[in-house]
Amino acid sequence: MAAAQACAPDSPGADPPVRLAVFAASSLTEAFGDVEGLFEAAHPGVDAVLSFAGSQTLRLQIERGARADVFASADPAQMALLAGAGLVDGERAFAYNELAVIVPPGNPAGIESFRDLPRAERLVVGTERVPAGAYARQILAASAGLFGPGFAKAVTDRIVSEESNVRLVRAKVEMGEADAAIVYRTDAVGGRVRVVPVPAGLNVEAEYVIAAVSGGRRPAAARQWIEFLGSREAQEALAGRGFVVPGRRGGG
Amino acid sequence: MLALLAVPMVALVTASSWEELVRGARDASFWPALWLSARTTFASMALVVLGGTPLAWWMAAREGRWVRAVEMIVDLPVVVPPAVVGLALLEAFGRNGLFSPVLAPLGLHLPFTTAAVVLAQVVVAAPFYVQSAAAAFRRTDADLLIVARTLGQSPAGTFLRVAAPLALPGLLAGAALSWARALGEFGATLLFAGNLAGSTRTMPLAIYTALEADTQVAVSLALALAGAGALLLLPLRAVPAMLARRFGTTARRWHRGG
Repeated sequence: MAAAQACAPDSPGADPPVRLAVFAASSLTEAFGDVEGLFEAAHPGVDAVLSFAGSQTLRLQIERGARADVFASADPAQMALLAGAGLVDGERAFAYNELAVIVPPGNPAGIESFRDLPRAERLVVGTERVPAGAYARQILAASAGLFGPGFAKAVTDRIVSEESNVRLVRAKVEMGEADAAIVYRTDAVGGRVRVVPVPAGLNVEAEYVIAAVSGGRRPAAARQWIEFLGSREAQEALAGRGFVVPGRRGGG
Repeated sequence: MLALLAVPMVALVTASSWEELVRGARDASFWPALWLSARTTFASMALVVLGGTPLAWWMAAREGRWVRAVEMIVDLPVVVPPAVVGLALLEAFGRNGLFSPVLAPLGLHLPFTTAAVVLAQVVVAAPFYVQSAAAAFRRTDADLLIVARTLGQSPAGTFLRVAAPLALPGLLAGAALSWARALGEFGATLLFAGNLAGSTRTMPLAIYTALEADTQVAVSLALALAGAGALLLLPLRAVPAMLARRFGTTARRWHRGG
């Protein structure tokens, strides 16, 4: 035993790394991919295994006993459901996001501003349950003040599909099958899409929260991951993918 | 093995009570999804039988390289995952797909429509019918078909009055299996047709969507779909056997008469 541990630094792999199961909202795919590399460099004994899906899907999986150690949700409401059931512990906000309209590069429906959204022949959003879908509906409900009472209905009439996570929503626009979609601003950063901003008065602030899953098998590594998100390099990685991090909040 | 096949279904039944099943049936998503599934699978089965029967007949009547190549194409949707079928359908009939230069000027937009649901079902379900029908046609006695022709039947008459009735048990078994596959179609539909209540959200998609909101509704919907499958299974097993007995004797009688 002692000999094996002594050898470990010379022969990586002799000492199997701790596998940390991180469940994260789809919109965090690239950002957490970046954080994973930085985290593993800082914590060589830990192998973070990332699993992405809609926050509501991950919440359901954790409720049903999925072996997660950390849960990062795009919506505090999904986290609150788990906290209420005593399934997560010590939740905290670590990033902020907002919504945007995306259109294919060719912009076939000619959507130049949010007001043009009813021009979309085919609009795709998330289901009411996925945070990105809930936020999109919130924005449309608030749009009456700016664009009149018929605007929201004119837009919702154009919805042709409701997807279970925000990356599936984006994919429909990337493939050119949808004329427009409502996703997070950060989803537009890495995608082959054009961005049409949501008017500032209508946009919502999506708060991303993270917590350790109670009964996870790697509580120490889970704490390390959550603490690492507060580090300067992790915050820079998140900001690099377009997220607003707590330190810079209010600036943009 | 038998336990592994049966236990999940038993667990599904025990996870729900009669009251919850009724609640599931009263859920707003239940009837639109069931009605959509019924309509789309009826349409896809009509297309599968109309298009698949001549193909199966052609496959049964010939041998050689070409038939083997065609058989491979027919089997392809069975061996590739449904998600791949969905992507392939998008690449073929999507807005930027292979056929978009033909479809777009006609104003035909398939993705996100009920027609896309039907098309996805046809592609994943047709192989089951075509293979079963081809096997049934191969089993029919070629001499009977020759006799029918010498007695003055046209090729069409020979097919309709002799070959099709003889192969009927196999055709029905294939159609039922194919229908069951269409009813359960999920992956290709989700990708190619999307997910919207009333137009593309069939029963399997409704179960998937309900799971995110209310697991009990999802269980009840799942149970209702499993029930529909079980109801389908009874005639699926009984009718072809019955027909085989009936038409089997008819065929023998013809043999003696001829």
